Amino acid sequence: MSNTPIIEIEQLTKTFRHATEPAVKGISFAINRNEIFGLLGPNGAGKTTTISILCGLFPPTSGKVMINGQDFQTHSTEIRQMIGIVPQDIALYPTLNARENLEFYGSMYGLYGRELRNSINDWLNKLGLTDAAKRKLSTYSGGMKRRVNLIAGVLHKPSILFLDEPTVGVDVHSRNVIIQHLKEINAQGTTIIYTSHHMEEAETFCTRVSIIDQGKILTQGTPAELINNHPGAPNLETVFLNLTKRKLRD
Amino acid sequence: MLHKLLATVKKEVLLLLRDKVGLSILFIMPMVLIFVMTLVQDSAFKTMNEKGIPVVFIDNDKDSLGIQIERGLKANDLCYLSDSIDGKPASVETAQKAVQEGKFLVGIVIPKGATEAIRKNVTELVNQTLNGEDSAKHKSAGTTDSVEITILIDPVAKKSFLISMTSNLREFISEVKTKIMFQTFSEQVAEIIPDKQNAPTNSYQKSQIIKYKELYASKSEDKIVPNAVQHNVPAWTIFAMFFIAIPLSSSILKEKNEGSVFRLHTMPTPYLLLVNGKIIVYVIVCLIQFVLMLSVGQIFLPMLGLPALVLGNSIAGIMLLTGATAFAATGYGVMVGTLASTEHQAAIMGSLSILLLSALGGIWVPSYVMPEVMRNISAWSPLNWSLEGFYKLFLRGGHVSDVLGETLKLLLFFLATMTVTSIANRKKRTV
Repeated sequence: MSNTPIIEIEQLTKTFRHATEPAVKGISFAINRNEIFGLLGPNGAGKTTTISILCGLFPPTSGKVMINGQDFQTHSTEIRQMIGIVPQDIALYPTLNARENLEFYGSMYGLYGRELRNSINDWLNKLGLTDAAKRKLSTYSGGMKRRVNLIAGVLHKPSILFLDEPTVGVDVHSRNVIIQHLKEINAQGTTIIYTSHHMEEAETFCTRVSIIDQGKILTQGTPAELINNHPGAPNLETVFLNLTKRKLRD
Repeated sequence: MLHKLLATVKKEVLLLLRDKVGLSILFIMPMVLIFVMTLVQDSAFKTMNEKGIPVVFIDNDKDSLGIQIERGLKANDLCYLSDSIDGKPASVETAQKAVQEGKFLVGIVIPKGATEAIRKNVTELVNQTLNGEDSAKHKSAGTTDSVEITILIDPVAKKSFLISMTSNLREFISEVKTKIMFQTFSEQVAEIIPDKQNAPTNSYQKSQIIKYKELYASKSEDKIVPNAVQHNVPAWTIFAMFFIAIPLSSSILKEKNEGSVFRLHTMPTPYLLLVNGKIIVYVIVCLIQFVLMLSVGQIFLPMLGLPALVLGNSIAGIMLLTGATAFAATGYGVMVGTLASTEHQAAIMGSLSILLLSALGGIWVPSYVMPEVMRNISAWSPLNWSLEGFYKLFLRGGHVSDVLGETLKLLLFFLATMTVTSIANRKKRTV
């Protein structure tokens, strides 16, 4: 893992139109190359807003975002080419089969011909979907759809991969396969930014986490550091609950 | 960039081919629409022409006027004449009841002594003229009797039928009056000038002073005859092409709802390229629709005994205008899909606006029968531009140069929809 930051955020604030309060309130942090950085928080904490800004979906109200030393205003295409995203919702076409979906999304990242075909075949094989590749996505189980959703974000070998709850609603087997392959991708040099409500998964998967609530960062560090800094907390989940006050969130 | 565009086109084609309902809206429903609308309109005119409007005729005159009107109406295709009701001779009372019950659309009552009254009036007029008396003075004295023909009308009868019927009646009455006048004049002249005693008094009947010749003002050498097919096929084809807005806008919103747009917005591909992929596919769909509709007009409608669609003289003009209409329709669909927030909204917005634009554009009712205000509004409907263009090509035998104005307007409309789409997209992303 390198100590050079690939993502730098300074005083990031986002207030949506017609909103009375900012969704993100002046947060700052940096993510180093090859990290698996967990952005954890309850519902409405500002995780998805932060990730959306980092992906270039919409601009911040104020603050600075640098991706690999570049910003979206001047290097939008270059940044988009180096990032991959696995959204929380299955962002695929249900009436197309897995291969057709992946061919389309791979093409949008500039892959074509043999390179595209090899990449698709490789990933379908790795995630156990080769036999089902010609079936319409609407016939897939939740776990299978999640796996295709993951492949669509990694086909072009991104330098930075954003994962928004990639294992939500999947069975243990699918989750293990997904986590195992994400670790492989990270080992090959991809920086991963990950959000989840699954604290046990985050504790074992992330190299560093940031706990965010109501648009502010509450704490940041490796999972072990956070547990050690909170005496009596046996795991990350207890740290999370202590910091976020155990209140129910909408 | 070309690979990305081709991938987008391929994706759109696959999505379209797997959407059976969308395909039926795009291809089968418009073809059915053309069949039904053309057959209904054609058979409506045929019913009128072949069998005619049922008319009960009561001739209490039994003289020239009654005979002339009866003969004239019988010879006319507009109506089917009957002088009895349920096997019994019709009277004014039974005719009124029958019309009220809808057994007949119209009833005509010629009063007793009508011809005699006309004859008397005419003779007086002729005498006054020949003797140099003041007719106005004579009239005020109240010596002339007017003839009153009663027309009983079923309230459901369309105004246009009645206008045709009454104008026919007026024509017959006028003819009878002129004939009587001519005969009276001839008799009077024969009395004044005895040499002319043997002059034929029926010379009026033999002569036809004014003749009518119907000639369609078309540039075509093939003599295109306006009929239900020539009018309906282009009108409903344009309607179907614009109806593409519904599946197209629905496909845009599906992409939004299924999350694909979220992913696509994070990719190194301009959103405009993705929209262009859709436009290419749907423009091709419009062109296929057009060919299918023409094939209905040229091949299938003649199988049902209808006249075949005549395309006019300019294939280049048809191609140009069809291309422009396809772009205008597709642009409109993209705009609706971008402005609407849900599929439901897009379906309502799309279908209602197209129905409105088509009504204004003269698809349902020709714009020339609209009031002036509506005609002015109609001139702003893209469907009207397209329809006017196709009428120029299909009915007036026009060429490319004749439809350049309509083509330009349609292409400008496409550019306007794209501008609105682009602005709306930018606004929606500025959250």
